[in-house]
Amino acid sequence: MSASSEAHRLLPRPLLVTVTVILCAMVLVPVLYILLASLNSDLGVASGEFWPGSFSVESYGRIWTTADLANGLVNSILVCALVAVASAVLGTMTAYVLVRHTFTGRLTILRGLVGLQSIPGTLMLLPVFVLFSSAGNYLGVTVVGTRWGLFLAYLTFALPFSTWVMVTYLRGLPRELEEAGRVDGASTPRILVRIIMPLSLPAIVVSGIFAFLLGWNDVLFASVLTRPGTRTAAVALSAFGSTQEGGALPVYSQVMAAALVSAAPVVLLYLVFQRYLVGGLTAGGVK
Amino acid sequence: MTLIIIVPLLLALYLSLIDLDQYTLRRWLDAPFLGLKNFGEAFGSGLPHAIWISVSFAVLATVATVPFGIAAALATQNAYRGRGLVRAVFLVPYVLPSFVVATVWRTMLQPDGIVNTVLAKAGIDGGLWLSGPKSYWTLILVEIWAAWPFIYLMALAGLQSVDSEVYEASAIDGADWWPKLVRVVLPYLRGPVLLACLLATLNHINNFTLPYVLFGAPAPDDVTVMPMIVYVTSFQSLRFGLSAAMAIVSLLIVAVPLFVYLRALRLDVHDEGGRR
Amino acid sequence: MSRRTRHAAVALVLVAGLAGCGGDDGGGGDGKTLDVLIGANTQYPREFKAWQQSIAAQFKAQTGASVTFEEFASANDELTKIQTSVVSGTGPDVYAVGTTLTPTAYSTGAFVKLDDETWGKVGGKDKFVPATLGISGPDEQNQVGVPFVSRPFVMVYNTELLQAAGISKPATSWDELRDHAKKLTKDGQYGLAVAYKDNYDPWKFVWGMSAQAGNPLVDGRTAKLRDPIVKQAYDTYFGWLTTDKVVDPAAIGWTNSQAIAAFAEGKTGYMALTSTTSAKALDSGATKGKWKFALLPTVPPGATARPAGGVEAASILSGDNLLVADYSDDQDLAFQFVKLVTDQPAQLDFYQAAGNLPANAAALRTLQSDPMLAPVAQAAQKSVATPFTGAWADIQLALTNVVVQSIPDLAQGGAVPVDARLADAQKAAQSALDRAK
Repeated sequence: MSASSEAHRLLPRPLLVTVTVILCAMVLVPVLYILLASLNSDLGVASGEFWPGSFSVESYGRIWTTADLANGLVNSILVCALVAVASAVLGTMTAYVLVRHTFTGRLTILRGLVGLQSIPGTLMLLPVFVLFSSAGNYLGVTVVGTRWGLFLAYLTFALPFSTWVMVTYLRGLPRELEEAGRVDGASTPRILVRIIMPLSLPAIVVSGIFAFLLGWNDVLFASVLTRPGTRTAAVALSAFGSTQEGGALPVYSQVMAAALVSAAPVVLLYLVFQRYLVGGLTAGGVK
Repeated sequence: MTLIIIVPLLLALYLSLIDLDQYTLRRWLDAPFLGLKNFGEAFGSGLPHAIWISVSFAVLATVATVPFGIAAALATQNAYRGRGLVRAVFLVPYVLPSFVVATVWRTMLQPDGIVNTVLAKAGIDGGLWLSGPKSYWTLILVEIWAAWPFIYLMALAGLQSVDSEVYEASAIDGADWWPKLVRVVLPYLRGPVLLACLLATLNHINNFTLPYVLFGAPAPDDVTVMPMIVYVTSFQSLRFGLSAAMAIVSLLIVAVPLFVYLRALRLDVHDEGGRR
Repeated sequence: MSRRTRHAAVALVLVAGLAGCGGDDGGGGDGKTLDVLIGANTQYPREFKAWQQSIAAQFKAQTGASVTFEEFASANDELTKIQTSVVSGTGPDVYAVGTTLTPTAYSTGAFVKLDDETWGKVGGKDKFVPATLGISGPDEQNQVGVPFVSRPFVMVYNTELLQAAGISKPATSWDELRDHAKKLTKDGQYGLAVAYKDNYDPWKFVWGMSAQAGNPLVDGRTAKLRDPIVKQAYDTYFGWLTTDKVVDPAAIGWTNSQAIAAFAEGKTGYMALTSTTSAKALDSGATKGKWKFALLPTVPPGATARPAGGVEAASILSGDNLLVADYSDDQDLAFQFVKLVTDQPAQLDFYQAAGNLPANAAALRTLQSDPMLAPVAQAAQKSVATPFTGAWADIQLALTNVVVQSIPDLAQGGAVPVDARLADAQKAAQSALDRAK
C-alpha cells in the first residue's frame, strides 16, 4: 500500500471493518428475511417463521401473473431513466446559471427550490390531475395515462432537488478551470459540456439517482396518472397489498419475491454507474 | 415547471377556500365559497397534534440517520476488494419501494411476528409495535432504516470534493485519524450533509406511504402524521376543501422555519470561490 | 377569487367538456373501447385474468367494441380514482364499486341513475337476488348500482374441534358463540379468531349486533352511536379478548387475512368474519377438509331471542355494484357490458374464477345445492343494507377508529374507555350527517 493511499485512509482498519459489518448486518438481516420469506409458504410467514419450513421458488413464477409486474418494470425503467437524465442535465444547466451569474431574484429562486420540496404530495394530487386531464380535454393532448404525463410530473418534482445538488457542488469548483477554457476561446455551452459536466460527474450521478428513485418509489401519482398499459412497478407492487374485504390469505411470499425482483434493476443500475461516483474530482485531474 | 407546480398550487389554494366534498365535487366550480372557515376547522381538528407528531418524528429521524450516513460514506471512501458490493448493499434500503419496506416491517413487527419471536427467546416481551405509544418509535426506526442511505449518498458525493492535497498535507503533519477527520474532512461534508438533512427532514414530513402501509388508516393517534390526516380527510372523508386547508397550513408551518433556517445557514451565498 | 376569474374558469371547463364530447359518436361499438375499473384479485390472479379475457372476447363478438380492465388494489385506491375522475369528467366508463362505497359514489351525482328502461337494458331487476338490490340507491326511484357479485359475511368453524368439544351445531346467538368459544379454549387452542387490527372488519360486528338489537346506527339525519346497545356491542367484541379470553392475545395485531391464517393452522374453533373468497386459504392449511361455513349469529348479545325492532341481519349487504359514469360517451355500450357480466353464464364463470357469489338469482340457485355453500347463499339472502347516506364512509371510519385507538388498552387487558371514544365517534358521525346534502 503506497504512502499516498495510506494518507487517504479515513478510518483506521479495525473501525472500518466494524462500521462496515454493522451497517451491512443492519441492511442485510431484513433483506435476508425478505429472501427467506419469498421462498417460504404464506402460512409459514404468517406464523412468524424466519427459516422456512419448506423452500419453494414458486412465488417467483407466480408474481408475473398476479400483478402486471413485467410491464410495470419496463414502464418504471423507461420513465425513471428519462427523468434521471433530463433532471440531471437541466439541473446542471440551471445550477450553473445560478452559481456563476448574479441577478435579482437569484436568492429567491434558490430558496424557492428548497421550498418546493416541502409541498406535500397529497395536496398536489387532485390539482395536478385536474390540470392534466383538462389539458387532455382542452388542448386535445392526452396526458393522463401516458408515460409523458408521469415523466412531466416526476421531472417537476425532481428538478428542484437536482438543481440544489448541483448548486452545492458547482460552488466548490474552482473558477480558474473555466477561465482557462475561456482564454482558449470556448463558448459557454462548450465549457459546460467539456469542463463542467465531466468534473461534476459524481454530483450528476447522485442527482440522477435521486431523480430516478423519486419516480421509482412513487405510488400516489402513478396510481391516478397511469392506465393499465402504463402502470409503473410500484403501482403493480401495491396490488399485492390489495385488501379484499373478508378476503383470503395475504400473499406474503409473492410480495417478498416481487420486492426483490423490483429492487434488482435499481441495484444493477447503481453497480453500473457507481464507478462514476468514485474518483470524480480527485481522478478528474484537479490537483 | 411553473405549469405543473404553480398552477396546481393556486388551484389547491382555491380549493382550501371552498366547501368541496363528495356532494359538490362534480360541479366544483359552483361549490360554496367559505373564506377561511376551512382553516378554522383545520385548527380545531387533529391538525395541531398531527403537526407536532410529524415535525418531531422528522427531526428525530433525520438526526439519527446522519451518523449512519457519514460513517458509511467514510467506510467506503477508501478502495478495498468488495467495496463495490458493500456500496450496493448500503443502497438497498433506499431502492426498495416504501410500500415494500412498510409491508416487510409490518410483517416482522406484528405481535406474533419474527421480531417478537426472537425477543421472546431472549426473554424480552416485545409487546405492541404497531399500536399505541410505541408505534411512534416504530415509525422512526423504520424510517431510519429506509432513509439513511440518502445521507450516505450525499456524504459520499461530498467526500469526492476533498482534494488529495488536503490529505497529503495532513499526512505530513502526522495528524491522527480522528483530528484529521474532524478538522480536515468533515468540513467538506458540511454543505452536502446539511442540504441532505434539510431535504431528508422534508421528505420525512411528507412521507405518506410508510405510515399508511405500516399502520393502516385510521392510524393510531400516536402516528397520525400530517400526510395521513390530509389523506384521510380528502380520500376517506372526502372533504377536499378542508384537507387542502390542512395541507396548506402544514406547508406554511414547514416552509416558514425552513426559510429562516436557509437564511441563517447562508447555504446559498454566492461565489464562495474555489476553496472554502 | 373574483366572479370574473371564476367565470373564465367555468368557460374553460365548458369548452373542455365540449371538446371531450366531440369524439366518437357512432352507432355500433366498432373500434370503441370500454374502460372498466374492477378490484384486483391476488388470490386467483390467473383465473381472474382468464375471466377478463373471455368476457372481453364475448363482448367483442357481441358489440365489436373492446374492453380494458383496470384494477385497483384497495377501497381507498378506488375512492381516489372515483374522485379524480369525477372532478375532471374523465376516466373509466364502468366501475365495480363495493356496496359500502356505493352511497358515497351516489352522493357525487356522477353516475347514471337507472330508470325502468335502463333496468330493461341490463335484463330487468327480476334477474337479481332481491336482497342485493338493497344498496343500489337511497330508494327505488334513485338507483345507480347494478348488483354484480355478493360477498356476504359468514363464520367458518373447525368441524373437528367443535365435535371434540361436544358442540353439535354452530352458534346462532352471540352469547352462544361466546359460550362455545369458552368451551373450545384450552391448552394451545382458542375458541375464536378475530381480526382486531383490520381496517374493515370491526365496524361490521358493531353494526350487526346493534341492528339485531334494533339500532341501525343512523336514524334519518341523526347518528345514534351513544346508545347502550352500541356500547354493549363494543363490550362484547372487546370482551372476547379481555374478559372471556377466548381469543389469541396476538389477535390485536391481526388483519382479517392474518386471522384466517391463524384459523387455518387448525387450532381455533371459530373464525368470526369471512367470506367465500377464503375457501382456498382454508384448504391450504391444516384445516383442509375440516371446515364449514355458518351464518353469523343473528340474536344480539345478552338476549336469547331477537327483541322487537331488531333486524335479522346475518351480514352487511356486501359485494360489488356496477355503476356507469355519466361522463361516459358510451353509456349504451356500458350497459350492454353490465348485462353481459350479470347474466347467468358470466356470473357462474366469475364464481368459478374468483369465488365471489353471483348476484344473479338463477345463477345463485344453481349453487345452492352445494352443501358447503348453502349457509353463504342463505347469508346472501339475509343480508341487510347499511344506511344509505353519503355520510356512511365517515361513520364507518369513526366506528373503526374506536377499535384502532383501543388496541393499546386491549393489550394491557384493562378496561377500555368505550364511552369516551363513542362520544368522539358520535360527534364525527353526526357532523358528517349534518353535512349530507
